Amino acid sequence: MTEQLAEEMKTPDARRTHEVRVTVEYLPATQPFHYQYSRETTIGTVQADAMSFFGVGDHKDRDEHKFFLEFNHQRLMNLSETLHQLLGEKREAEFHLVEQITPGGPSK
Amino acid sequence: MSRLYPRINKWTIPQAALAKTVAAVLPTGLAGRETGVFWLGDRSTTATVRAVVMPAGQGVEERPEQWKVSPAVFGAVSLWAKPRNLALLAIAHIHLPGIPAELSWADRNLSVHVPGILAIVIGNGGADHHHSRWGWYVYNHNEYRKMTSSQLRDRLAIEPFGRLSTWRADANGVCEVEF
Repeated sequence: MTEQLAEEMKTPDARRTHEVRVTVEYLPATQPFHYQYSRETTIGTVQADAMSFFGVGDHKDRDEHKFFLEFNHQRLMNLSETLHQLLGEKREAEFHLVEQITPGGPSK
Repeated sequence: MSRLYPRINKWTIPQAALAKTVAAVLPTGLAGRETGVFWLGDRSTTATVRAVVMPAGQGVEERPEQWKVSPAVFGAVSLWAKPRNLALLAIAHIHLPGIPAELSWADRNLSVHVPGILAIVIGNGGADHHHSRWGWYVYNHNEYRKMTSSQLRDRLAIEPFGRLSTWRADANGVCEVEF
């Protein structure tokens, strides 16, 4: 039996205990992004899903526009970190999506 | 537009928001540096400005030709604003005397790009008190477009007695202030 099948055979309650309720806020948007993830989900996945939800994306023109998540005033740079590694046994987390713009040209 | 960024047909702006914005930015303008404020409020078909937030201190750079707010400050403002159901509606900043009250290339590109957000430029280092002399731009269809005088008449409603609060923000948080 594969791990995945074994996971699927668990009761819904058992599965739910391994989930984390994630909220991501974005200052200009009127509604947050909500989703439940497994604890092994990476920050990179959450960030990508939130960016898709808010309709924003990293891009480069003359400048570099990069989005990232903040948690407890800390910028999350390690996108391969899992929710479990970040949160421990917590089952809820609120992140804020912010944009970093690195100028590539003259300011005026 | 989507439920995330509801279409805004009109902005209701308390008269105090205009006055407080000038009060916030003018001292820095007189000192020869650029600065600015965020307007936050209820975003809906008619968006209403409820708070003027001045980024200052840690995470904010005010220079003669550049005002730069770090992502950490945006994060702190977001953390404060969301439980209050406030969304970012506008970013207003000053240009020093001799520089037109128009969005520069950097202003257009190094700013928030979501539908319906306003970018406002106040000329003469913040000394242009009347909002009719400011440059008003709205972001739509992937660019900021200058609003014409008739658009401003039709889409801006200045409320003499609208409710408003004033705040200061840095990378560590947001606190209520008078300015």
